[in-house]
Amino acid sequence: MNRTATRIVSMPMPLALAAFLFATLLPTRASAILQVVTTTEGLAALAREVGGDRVKVESLSRGIQDPHFVDPNPTLAVKLRNADLLVDMGLELEVGWLPPLVNQSRNPDIQVSGGRRLIASNAVDVMDMPTGPVDRSQGDIHPSGNPHFLSDPRRAERIAAAIAAKLAQLDPAGAAYYQGRLADFDRRLAAAMTRWRSELAPAQGAKVVTHHNSLRYLLDFGGVSAAGYLEPKPGITPPPSHLADLIGVVKSNGVKVILVENYYDRKAADLVARLSGARVEAIPGDVGGSKDAADYFSYVDALVKALAQAKG
Amino acid sequence: MLQLVVFSLLASQAGAGAPASPQPPPTSAEERKQLEEQIGKELGTQAQPIPGVTNLPGPAPVAATADTSKGGSPFGRLLQLPDFSAIVDGALGYTNLSPTQQGLTADPLPQKLVQPLLQEVELAVQATIDPYARGDIFITFSLDSVEVEEAFLTSLSLPWGLQVKAGKFYSPFGRLNQLHRHQWVFVNQPLSQQRLVASDGLNGPGVDLAWLAPLPWFFEVHLAYQDTLPGFESPSDRQLTGVGRLIQYFDLADWATLGVGLSWANFRAPLATDWKNLGGGDVFVKFRDPASRGYVTVQGEVFARQRAAQTFSQATWGGYGQVVWRLDREWEVSARYDGAPFETVIPAGTAPLPPGTQSSYSLLGTFYASEFLRVRLQPSWQQIPGGVNGFQVFANFEFSVGVHGAHPF
Repeated sequence: MNRTATRIVSMPMPLALAAFLFATLLPTRASAILQVVTTTEGLAALAREVGGDRVKVESLSRGIQDPHFVDPNPTLAVKLRNADLLVDMGLELEVGWLPPLVNQSRNPDIQVSGGRRLIASNAVDVMDMPTGPVDRSQGDIHPSGNPHFLSDPRRAERIAAAIAAKLAQLDPAGAAYYQGRLADFDRRLAAAMTRWRSELAPAQGAKVVTHHNSLRYLLDFGGVSAAGYLEPKPGITPPPSHLADLIGVVKSNGVKVILVENYYDRKAADLVARLSGARVEAIPGDVGGSKDAADYFSYVDALVKALAQAKG
Repeated sequence: MLQLVVFSLLASQAGAGAPASPQPPPTSAEERKQLEEQIGKELGTQAQPIPGVTNLPGPAPVAATADTSKGGSPFGRLLQLPDFSAIVDGALGYTNLSPTQQGLTADPLPQKLVQPLLQEVELAVQATIDPYARGDIFITFSLDSVEVEEAFLTSLSLPWGLQVKAGKFYSPFGRLNQLHRHQWVFVNQPLSQQRLVASDGLNGPGVDLAWLAPLPWFFEVHLAYQDTLPGFESPSDRQLTGVGRLIQYFDLADWATLGVGLSWANFRAPLATDWKNLGGGDVFVKFRDPASRGYVTVQGEVFARQRAAQTFSQATWGGYGQVVWRLDREWEVSARYDGAPFETVIPAGTAPLPPGTQSSYSLLGTFYASEFLRVRLQPSWQQIPGGVNGFQVFANFEFSVGVHGAHPF
């Protein structure tokens, strides 16, 4: 200790100052509060539910954004640099922007196999897994399955449990705290699911149209199915011929509601609605996607409110 | 696995003497650290963490797996394949300028002839190598050549914000220099980039050490040492090059990001006509409503080149500025000004053209059929020293097949 101190004192002043600045700027994980970074606001909401005041949660994307098309802005890599935990959706939802940010972050523990990475899709049953050959003539499909599972409260429950378990692993002293908060979240979620099922009961068996196949899990929860999509194939802009076909589908299936996340251009939806007699319902794409979707419960409230009108 | 080996070794050493008494597992981070230090001391090695494995209580992370599967997964080998992709750029080109009037360019066109072009086929192989590094390999094919465009490893687990790139790669100089053809907004590179930096990009084998400073904004410093091939006119061809770059990004608002960079390259210049120093400054601003697919970007770079026999005040300057407006998911319009020193090859027996600046004004319309196919139309107006004006048009298509890794910002 004395030798080190002597060396520093004998350094030229500018060099010592530079060494001091460098040392103070080195990244550390000294904080008792876990820094949790998520890719979406929905995951952030669940992390806040179970993490409480032992975590600081930040989302890389915002609820008003299409999660497929987030800019890999290097300032987001700065947020990942000191992340104690990265939670992402997986199933290639963030494949267009997350990998370069993780590489730029210099944080080895949040790599795909890292101990501070939690891929939420590993905690849920995945729907729409292709069973035959896959190529891009089918559009920009997710070959590992549908990644839009956060609209389903049953799967949100699983993800919250996985986050709580991961937080307990990273912060053993808070394990009981996280389990307590998870139990409280589960209790409130169970009550909400009972209410949501009741609100959706009149819509059971109905058919709706959505822009993208992004409500698959919510429709499954509510006993509703999709008669068609505004996109002819994932990621493909609808040509007039497809919209003309879709108008026929809407009429023949008695579709009353076209659900469109509010980050999509709704011109095509409005046109189909006008020519078919259906109604367009704009819905938040995620937590924070609208003013009345501030947390996970109010987000699903907004979805259920729109879906409940599926039978008119 | 390393931990298992270490513990097995310790157990076998203990077993050689008195019967080992079972030790309780470490219960705190401090005890864990002490144990690691003790193990490291006894083995004569430092307690280096395996990325993503150490310092976490509980079992090491493993890949997600199904609970059971008779006979194992038939897709197991496929899951380990790297990302493979091929990207093809083709075009029709036309100009009313002679090759001499076009000046030195990587995309020369015959005069007054609609010329079909296969500009490039890029084959990419990308994967994580191990917990410590990833590998990226890009081979480019044209009608008359095959080239290793880049082949490098990138470290994933160095401490203190450091990252090393080693292999053959584009020098960390400026913005455009580090982009592959399919990442360019325009069909061709600005002449200022081609003539002052490098015709096909400042590129070569070497090492790049990058440091991400622990600051609240993105502040990255690169120091690279490479064997590069600069410009069109380098008499001694390949030159050992030192490159430095500082790049910073700031969030001005939810809808605006600013990037500013400074770059410098120093060439070992055995001949007086060789390049000695190359400086560059770049700025990039992106405006995007997060809820929209549309955005506007403004980007510009200036370059200054000093040859060995020149003083700094005699350096040659050039640069470009461009604006890109992405209207929606499908359409994009752009404009670019490019000012470059006029450099050309004069055929024997003809009078030299006057020196000066060649100015290019380009417009660009892009249609994105999908994320994997785009079509571009780029007319350019050229002003050449001596009062000669001309135009050039490219109609380009570009498509990709396979899985291609996402690009940085």
